[in-house]
Amino acid sequence: MSLRNRLDRGWRMFGTGLSFACFGLGGVLLSLTLFPLIRLTSPDRDTTRRRIQRAMHYTFRLFVLQMTLLGVISYEVRGRERLRRGGTLVVANHPSLIDVVLLIALMPEADCIVKQALWRNPFLRWPVAWADYTPNSDSAEQLVETAAAKLRAGRSLIIFPEGTRSRPGQPLTMQRGAARIALAAGTEVLPVTITCEPRMLGKGEPWYRVPPRPGHWRMVVGEPMHAADYAPAGVPEPLAARRLTRHFVEYFTRSVTAVTPAAAGGGSALVPGGTMYRGVDA
Amino acid sequence: MDSKEEIHARLKEVLVELFEIEPAKITPEAHLYQDLGIDSIDAIDLLLRLKELTGRKIQPETFKHVRTVADVTEAIHALGLSEAATGT
Repeated sequence: MSLRNRLDRGWRMFGTGLSFACFGLGGVLLSLTLFPLIRLTSPDRDTTRRRIQRAMHYTFRLFVLQMTLLGVISYEVRGRERLRRGGTLVVANHPSLIDVVLLIALMPEADCIVKQALWRNPFLRWPVAWADYTPNSDSAEQLVETAAAKLRAGRSLIIFPEGTRSRPGQPLTMQRGAARIALAAGTEVLPVTITCEPRMLGKGEPWYRVPPRPGHWRMVVGEPMHAADYAPAGVPEPLAARRLTRHFVEYFTRSVTAVTPAAAGGGSALVPGGTMYRGVDA
Repeated sequence: MDSKEEIHARLKEVLVELFEIEPAKITPEAHLYQDLGIDSIDAIDLLLRLKELTGRKIQPETFKHVRTVADVTEAIHALGLSEAATGT
């Protein structure tokens, strides 16, 4: 490895560490200042929820901006305007640690499913509760109910049906909870295909193992899907959930390949903003 | 009183209808979660469907320790016995 390469990697390792340190520290600081202030100055729970979600959105944008300015990551988005609609179930594949951060940075008001550990975190448990995020600690049935009710009320929810980050090189496996929520709520499903090339912050990759080049994230928002199409009269819901989940797996398996640039191609195939990749929505 | 064979046959039909499970896979020894891919929400649907079919009250606790197809058959069979005994 040349000196230049080594310096570049060293810089990006530093930049990644710095970003995560700021993220953690910033989270604690905001939990002690801005978030309680929002809580105290909001007239009711729903206003608190909206304002906290917005604050999260701007905080995550700042974090993404920091990582981008430090040259640690780069990203591009297709179909971003679709993410701004309310009452949408955003279903995404999950290649990296920062997928949810990137998605919330693109959605001014989004709900997400938050793991148990955060609800026990002394600092973050309050903002997470004020944002009225969905805990995954309840029973599966309860989770589906809660999530569907939020969607019906016009709120948007982000979910990763894989349940955990994708295993590189392995076929996608998805749990049926996302399909259950979509069927119970009867709302639109917006598929977001996320890829990161070269791989960075993936499953089993610690933050300090930086790739040879900065990780480049692509997020492609596809055409909305309609859960009802998978549940015609007479089809029991468990069966509809299986069919819809199978559709998710097929869709994402196809779209991940379509979005990932050909390995040999090299270089960034940046398409001017606003246009869609052909083939992804086919 | 349904025999265990009859209950197993009915259960098999339900599993195919609700979950599109390959009938050949549904043996008494088949594990509901591992072999047949039934998840916790499916289990609730299964319970509801069995309630409809048998017309019997099935307590969720009865199914807590159910692991295999044979366990389900056994649980339904036992329900029938207890109902027969109390004359309901």
